[in-house]
Amino acid sequence: MSAAEVTFCKVRKAFGNAVAVRELDLAIGAGEFVSLLGPSGCGKTTSLRMLAGLEFPTSGTISIGGRVVNDVAPGKRDVAMVFQSYALYPHMTVGENIAYPLKKQGMARGEREAQVKRIAAMLKLEALLDRKPRQLSGGQQQRVALGRALVRSPKVFLLDEPLSNLDAKLRAHMRAELIELHRQLGRTFVYVTHDQLEAMTMSDRIAVMEGGELRQFAPPREVYDRPANLFVASFIGTPPMNIVHGEFNGRVFRHPAITVPFQVAGAPTRVALGVRPEDVLLGAGPFRATVRVVEPTGHETIVMLEAEGAALTARAPAESHLRPGEIVPFALRADRLHLFDATTELRLEARATEEISA
Amino acid sequence: MKPATNPLDRRDAWLGVMLIAPSVLIFCAVIVYPLVSAIYLSLFSIYTPTLQGNFVGLSNYAELLAGGEFWHSLANTLIWTVCTLTLQVVLGIAAALMLHQAIIFRSLARSLILFPYFVSTVVAVLVWRWLFNDLYGILNHLMIWAGLLNMPLDWLGSMPNAMVSIVLVGAWKYFPFVVIAVLARLQTIPDNLYEAATIDGAGAWGRFWDVTLPQLKDVLLVVVLLRAIWDFKEFDLIYLMTGGGPLIATQTLPLMVYKEAFGMDAMGRATAVAVAMMFVMLVFMLLYLRQAKQDAAK
Repeated sequence: MSAAEVTFCKVRKAFGNAVAVRELDLAIGAGEFVSLLGPSGCGKTTSLRMLAGLEFPTSGTISIGGRVVNDVAPGKRDVAMVFQSYALYPHMTVGENIAYPLKKQGMARGEREAQVKRIAAMLKLEALLDRKPRQLSGGQQQRVALGRALVRSPKVFLLDEPLSNLDAKLRAHMRAELIELHRQLGRTFVYVTHDQLEAMTMSDRIAVMEGGELRQFAPPREVYDRPANLFVASFIGTPPMNIVHGEFNGRVFRHPAITVPFQVAGAPTRVALGVRPEDVLLGAGPFRATVRVVEPTGHETIVMLEAEGAALTARAPAESHLRPGEIVPFALRADRLHLFDATTELRLEARATEEISA
Repeated sequence: MKPATNPLDRRDAWLGVMLIAPSVLIFCAVIVYPLVSAIYLSLFSIYTPTLQGNFVGLSNYAELLAGGEFWHSLANTLIWTVCTLTLQVVLGIAAALMLHQAIIFRSLARSLILFPYFVSTVVAVLVWRWLFNDLYGILNHLMIWAGLLNMPLDWLGSMPNAMVSIVLVGAWKYFPFVVIAVLARLQTIPDNLYEAATIDGAGAWGRFWDVTLPQLKDVLLVVVLLRAIWDFKEFDLIYLMTGGGPLIATQTLPLMVYKEAFGMDAMGRATAVAVAMMFVMLVFMLLYLRQAKQDAAK
């Protein structure tokens, strides 16, 4: 009756010739909230379904709480899952839906009802217990699906894009509730999403996946501040990180519009410079760019620039009055620059020497 | 609706009447007229070949309800309908579940299973009568060979064998209808429900009872309604298999109507049976629909 750690060891999953997950190694700590984040087709849902027991790994092992569960039936893994479509049993009332897993465990009716009451109180569903799912709103159905998962007090919660069918306001609300729920229960949460905001706000650690491979597994702050490779760098953050391809001569990164000196050991010639939009400082500095598009969003203005063939996006204050066609000087925040090997796409541990770029 | 005041609206309304008129006329000609004339005829004593006779009021009905043959036939009809319909539904669901799985030759099997439904009743019954034949039939031959029987059994000429035989053939002939309807519904049940039930700890039976069957409820409601009506008025299969025999042991109401009209040449009595049959069916349908409505409201 406690949280359990989850381990994927060299897990591979192929559907015929299509490889969904290749060699996934992932160790999730007991009680941790981990998001599997990636674009569609990256293997995140397949990984979750293998953990639930709905798909079988082609090779490799999956363990929950130190026990290999490859041959354990889904109902016996002590996991509960919340589906994107909620998958509520349409002919059962809310109360019956929540009680169903307990009924299948053979729990007596009286005890079942007590448990359902406890969960209903926790999720504020008391008034809805006799309704059918089709009589509920999307948000209410979502709560019932959560309730059905919570009622068993499983070791691991699996959530497959549970918020993506809700409207924006409700989604923000449910995010906060899920964080609170995780804190209260202290169980392991594995959360699949393609929404980086959800992953960034809720997770202890994010597993960024692409093309069936794990690209980075780190806390949200680190994924944002120290992306392990070009994919993570450009996938995380809205608007995404600017990537400028150029050359490195051992001392200075060179692009026709931008030069930045770096201290780095053993860097190749072909490299890519990564700059987040908030680290492009418009108004003054050594570089010049032409304004192409200005997008005011209210609390800030997104400016798209072009500098000698390099497309750049910058965040500017809401009150900036830039016009398309205008030429603006800009600087880069030297302590926040990223350098990547353009061939392997991996991060280079580089440090910009401040005096020239600012 | 507002009264059509401007000429354009009036023309539209006129067009509407013109468009539905053919259907209404055909409906009157083939449903309303026969129904009314059946009720009318049932009040006369009529000799079928001449269609001449005199008004006798309700005495056809009085005779019917007082005599044993009507009640016996009604009981036969109910036994036949309930038994064959139950078998059709059970077999139909089982076959649909099987065809829903990814078995080999699935598309071939799906079309083959419809074969009994499409084959002409006369052809099917003639073949079955040969299979059931007490002297040459393969059924007796196989059962004796397997040691289940010592002597050939009279399948169609003795009771309760004759009723069992028509019930079985009826189930064989009409279960594909249930298969088509159920299979179509099965394909629309979301996989997520099965997956959720699996994770919640339901086994194969649990998933069938808690996911599949509740989802099939609506389609089964319609299938049972339609099949019950069609089985209730089934004529050719029973007539060709046993002719209602031995004596009247398998005679259902439609066979009785036929016998009264063309065997006994008493068209008035025949129509009285037919009208009574219609009322019985009507009562059952109303009860059934009310029950279904209550279930849906729950």
